[in-house]
Amino acid sequence: MANIDPGMAAMLDAYLFESSTLLEQLDEILLRTEEAATFTEDDINEIFRIMHTIKGSSAMMGFESLQQLSHKGEDMFFLIRENSIEDTSFIYDLVFRMSDLFKEEIDLIQGEEYNPTDFSDIIKQLEEGAERLAGKVSGAPEPVAAVAAPAAAVASAAVVDSDSITVIVHFEPGIEMENLRAFLLLNKIMEETEVSDSFPKDVDSDPSTAAEIANNGFRVTFKAEDRESVVKLLEVSLNIDNYEFIENPGDLAAANAAAVSPAVETPTAQSSAPTPAKSTAAVSPPPANAANAGAPHAAPAKQSIISVNLAKLDQLHDIVGEIITTESMVISNPELEGLQLESFHKAARDLRKLTDELQDTVMSIRMVPLSGPFSKMNRIVRDMKKALGKDVELIIEGESTEVDKSIVDNLNDPLMHLVRNCMDHGIETTSEERVALGKPEKAFIKLAAVNASGEVVITISDDGKGIDHDRVLDKAERLGLLMKPRGDYSEREAQNLITMPGFSTNEEVTEYSGRGVGMDVVKQNIEKCGGTILVESKIGAGTVFTIKIPLTLAIIDGMEIEVGGTIFTIPISMIRQSFKVTEDQIIRDTQRGEMIMIRGECYPIMRLHEKFNIMSEVTNFEDGILILVETENKSVCLFSDKLIGEQQVVVKPFPAYFSRYNIKGAGLSGCTIMGDGSIALIIDVTNLIEN
Amino acid sequence: MTEAKALALSKKSGTSSSGKNALNTEKANEITKVLTFLIGEQVYGIEIPYIIEIIGVPTITQVPCYEIPSFIKGIINVRSKVVPIVNVRACFGKPEIDYNERTCTIIVAHEGVSVGLIVDEVLDVSSVTERHLARTPELNQVNNNKFIDYILEMNDGVKLVLDVQKLIFDHDLAY
Repeated sequence: MANIDPGMAAMLDAYLFESSTLLEQLDEILLRTEEAATFTEDDINEIFRIMHTIKGSSAMMGFESLQQLSHKGEDMFFLIRENSIEDTSFIYDLVFRMSDLFKEEIDLIQGEEYNPTDFSDIIKQLEEGAERLAGKVSGAPEPVAAVAAPAAAVASAAVVDSDSITVIVHFEPGIEMENLRAFLLLNKIMEETEVSDSFPKDVDSDPSTAAEIANNGFRVTFKAEDRESVVKLLEVSLNIDNYEFIENPGDLAAANAAAVSPAVETPTAQSSAPTPAKSTAAVSPPPANAANAGAPHAAPAKQSIISVNLAKLDQLHDIVGEIITTESMVISNPELEGLQLESFHKAARDLRKLTDELQDTVMSIRMVPLSGPFSKMNRIVRDMKKALGKDVELIIEGESTEVDKSIVDNLNDPLMHLVRNCMDHGIETTSEERVALGKPEKAFIKLAAVNASGEVVITISDDGKGIDHDRVLDKAERLGLLMKPRGDYSEREAQNLITMPGFSTNEEVTEYSGRGVGMDVVKQNIEKCGGTILVESKIGAGTVFTIKIPLTLAIIDGMEIEVGGTIFTIPISMIRQSFKVTEDQIIRDTQRGEMIMIRGECYPIMRLHEKFNIMSEVTNFEDGILILVETENKSVCLFSDKLIGEQQVVVKPFPAYFSRYNIKGAGLSGCTIMGDGSIALIIDVTNLIEN
Repeated sequence: MTEAKALALSKKSGTSSSGKNALNTEKANEITKVLTFLIGEQVYGIEIPYIIEIIGVPTITQVPCYEIPSFIKGIINVRSKVVPIVNVRACFGKPEIDYNERTCTIIVAHEGVSVGLIVDEVLDVSSVTERHLARTPELNQVNNNKFIDYILEMNDGVKLVLDVQKLIFDHDLAY
């Protein structure tokens, strides 16, 4: 951030926060309006306000490039607002791109060294977009243009710029697969020049266009200045019978009008729909898709909310932790022992009640709904839908479920990976394929969250192909990832192999997913915030990813135990039971392994003092106590000196000084400060017993 | 004037980070201040800006992880902050002794990482001027202790000033 005025540095945080919030709002509005296929007046005003605010604050911060960019965006929406233009379908990609560039730029600003990006490309495109809008406005009253070119204006997004040119290519008669040939040709032309339009559309996915091309030819509109290179290209291309150029927009319009096919009629109808369509389009607040017509939809962002730096909240949280610790130091101070202190104890009880309340409030401040990361998925699904040509609906449920801010931040990437995986690999490639399987044409991806006893369960499900566990096993075998004989893997275990590092069932790397790190990273990120992930899938029916995460990282219910003078805390959620044993209950195998039989099941015993190499006087099972702990895959009895009691503890990570040592691998996840000021170590049961 | 002195200091001590800290001094001929302490018979020093506080030896909670070297004694609670504890004797490869009433923990911090250093005895604060700086151009060859930043020759003896940066981040230099 070298080129930012030091006086401005303090405001930078606020600027970055505000701009990213506004951009997210912009995305939400755009997604909603695109679906509804129309802008309401409120939408336009809201977008206009967003662009205007970004423009203003960018100018204030001295980010000239961002200011220019938002200015162009504002211009475009100004035109839409002032002229109530109905058909705005073509601007979405443009505005989404602008919003993406904005976000990238904002990320860059946060980086070490910031050099403004050159936005001239997108600015030019925005200008063109604005011209197109302006062209429509001025063109509309002219009866000739309006009558002659209604289809052209809509179907081809009104390419009437004088500097573009259209070529109609006729393939050799009877050649067949005209649509695919046209698609290949189009790609080649795109390499040469900027193609603004082509007709028929969807040649790659819609075989029915073949007939249309055979009869009327394939039409491509591009920049006139590149005419020569395209001619060269056409000359060397195979199977082309002849081609002709149309330079007069009028001719084009006529040609278009002549060629009106069902595919073009739909948008025509939509654009010419009278104003009432506007009021019927439900205005729904993101991310809930409930209809909320008439209400101002900025509602989710406009509650009486202030934004606070997370560091301050952490600080507040630390102080509350300190107060609670200090409070118990005061109340159970040894100097008070034996004194008659009736009113003191009453006051102490009141104090405890208040500090408890204080702690709850501070915790609740840190809780944020999952709607943030969830609604981001809307955008991903939208973009991938377009790129992959799949018809998918994203269903979101339970987005109001709240979790700790630090956890939400860790969830964004895993969710994105999973949704992309569903889109890319999960859902069948074409809707024909789906129909053939007896599934509805439109696939769905469902994101759901529920709060279940101290945990939040997030499921990401699709009704796609499912995971073929045989293929997973094949691949795992090939990659040498199998830990036991292939036959020993249950279907479910096999499916969960996909979360192993370096595993990706898709042979090819695609733009969106399948770099072979995806699922591995997902698992790591989720484990980082204390969660687990499970895959469940049925071939042909779909896949369900279940993520379980704790509500908060900061406070856990723990069981305090002592081992040779060191206090450990085991999360209560991992403990099945604790019990005393007699020597004759212990089973010893030949390798000095010790086990115990409980209700017909045999559990290994882990002596904590040996595991942690602590000198303890309690080495006899009869003197200590066994604690049965359980993870997804394994159950073990831990042997400790004694139980101290159950307590809610504030989890603190180990100091950064220890980061080079693998403490987690040793079975410790953090530490906590006890009422008497001493430190207890928190046992990471999963790492302790599974490694 | 002060800057020139600081420059002189940093030249003598090679690529040390202490030069920057030395800039913040007011007195014209004082380069920096160091807190001095004893390890055995030798006097060591740490520049004042690194020091957060000096406490006794609190209850240390060991962190049972075989990867952690033995000179790191564990963690302590300093007003709800968890701070790792390093025994400087062990870190320098000297035999450890039992803690007594003179044993102190000096809490130092650098780049947001704080560490408690257990030393035999804290002495006092010495004001360092340029004439105290010992001329030891090839410090690392005359002294095996890689944690030493520069050496002071004062009326009351030689003082070895430690490089806190290395002490905190270069665990591999320890014995």
